[in-house]
Amino acid sequence: MSAPGSGPGPSPRPSPADAPRDAPPARAPVFSLGDLSVHFGGRPALSGVSLDIPRGRIVALIGPSGCGKTTLLRALNRMNELIPGARTTGSVRFDGAELYRPETDPVEVRRRVGMVFQEAALFPGSVFDNVAFGPRASGFRGDLHALAEEVLTAAGMWADLGQDPDVPAASLSAGQRQRVCIARALAVRPQVLLLDEPTSALDATATARIESLVHSLLPRLTVVLATNDLRLAARSSSVTAYVDRGELVEYGPTETLFTNPSDERTESYLTGRVR
Amino acid sequence: MKAFRHQGAIAGVCSLAAGVTLAAGMTLLAVLLVQARGVLDFGFLLGAPSRFAAQAGVGPALAGTLWLTLLTAALACPVGVGAAVYFEEYAPRTRATRAIESAITTLAGVPPVVFGVAGLALFARGLGLGPTVLAGGLTLAMLALPTVLATSKEAIRQVPSGVRTAAYALGATRWEVIRRQVLPAAAPAIVTGVTLALARTAGAAAPLLVIGAASFINYAPGTPGDPLTALPTQVFAWSARSQPGFAAVAASAAVVLLALLLLLHLVSLALRRRLSKAAR
Repeated sequence: MSAPGSGPGPSPRPSPADAPRDAPPARAPVFSLGDLSVHFGGRPALSGVSLDIPRGRIVALIGPSGCGKTTLLRALNRMNELIPGARTTGSVRFDGAELYRPETDPVEVRRRVGMVFQEAALFPGSVFDNVAFGPRASGFRGDLHALAEEVLTAAGMWADLGQDPDVPAASLSAGQRQRVCIARALAVRPQVLLLDEPTSALDATATARIESLVHSLLPRLTVVLATNDLRLAARSSSVTAYVDRGELVEYGPTETLFTNPSDERTESYLTGRVR
Repeated sequence: MKAFRHQGAIAGVCSLAAGVTLAAGMTLLAVLLVQARGVLDFGFLLGAPSRFAAQAGVGPALAGTLWLTLLTAALACPVGVGAAVYFEEYAPRTRATRAIESAITTLAGVPPVVFGVAGLALFARGLGLGPTVLAGGLTLAMLALPTVLATSKEAIRQVPSGVRTAAYALGATRWEVIRRQVLPAAAPAIVTGVTLALARTAGAAAPLLVIGAASFINYAPGTPGDPLTALPTQVFAWSARSQPGFAAVAASAAVVLLALLLLLHLVSLALRRRLSKAAR
């Protein structure tokens, strides 16, 4: 790792658009966060985060456990407000519209910004039941079976299932379950997919399959990936944010952040974990 | 070695306790069956009560209990499960909510006769229903409600939070999450709670006696407005008679009540199997 302080310090609103490698200049960011803070029962979990999330890329959120990665992720589809005592301040603009206006329907937000969790919490019933839940809940009127085949194929599960989505979800392996979770999220046709530690319970092979699956979703989807797996973050993302104690410490092109971090805290985190 | 012997003694005491429990149950059933011998037949099941033990039948009381159980289930299930959904999924977690919840839980332990007194004042007199099947059903529904509510709340609470979170993240509304995930997952345990509540109310004599259940009605109640009669009150009335032969008649009616409860449990078991197969 390089010496600290060699890069430019974080600007008030660091934007990866500064980096030519990640800059499709005409395209506006999917998310634009301004001074975003989240408190749980008065205790701060996230303070003053400002950043832009570029469209059609994988953005990695890294940082120690409990640093606020998950809270930041859940702020992007208004999942934090399901926790009693949660309070969100600041601004999250999604496709230019403020996410936290009172007239914004969180249900509609979650249909456009899907999420997959660390523990692949499948619903009881078959794989089809799982994939059909989201479309049914949002009043989908088309051919559910065709949709299921499409998203399960996209998630690399159609062959695994022997083309039979009526397989009980409980009979699948951990990696397969997580891919069904991704297929289930895709069935709602989101623009963004939030992945919260999607591979932490998986072995290297299953992780690799998830990784290539996530890559295959680009550039139609934007992916925000919170992970403790630094190699996964380094390999797959084009932009990385380092979060520590609820603060955004550093945000920039993945290569720069990993090889030449500008903040001492980022460097000590990266070196402490990688070595 | 000493600890090992200790273990053996505990297992011995516990198996003895289990044996005593089983023996008590078997003895109870045996005594009833021996007493009921010779009385229990189809004529007894369908016939009306009589001054003469040899001609007495349990028909109207059986029909009454079936009516009461049906009414109790129809009233207590939607209200109890609905209230449980409200408390678990909608109500704000405030001190007032917790106070109301614990008050309702306490109601589950209130003796049935107390509900009878309330039912008499409220339904039989207050609403002017008189001692009818409907007044009895409403009273028993009040009796069943706290149990249905408490067990349904527990069943809903047992649904893993990951299922709820995942459903919300897929853009489901609160009602969709409840209807399509929470309730189906909780259904088997809710059925168990409802069964326990119905078994408790189907066997309750005291509240119906307070309301004024009749023991000599010679026709089966055909509508909820008909006079109130039920198996447990019939057993009570016959047990109180001193003429020879009525002990056997009372025992026979008790066996019919037991058979009805057994049937209730079997239906509940079958329903639970189906529901948990659907939820797997």
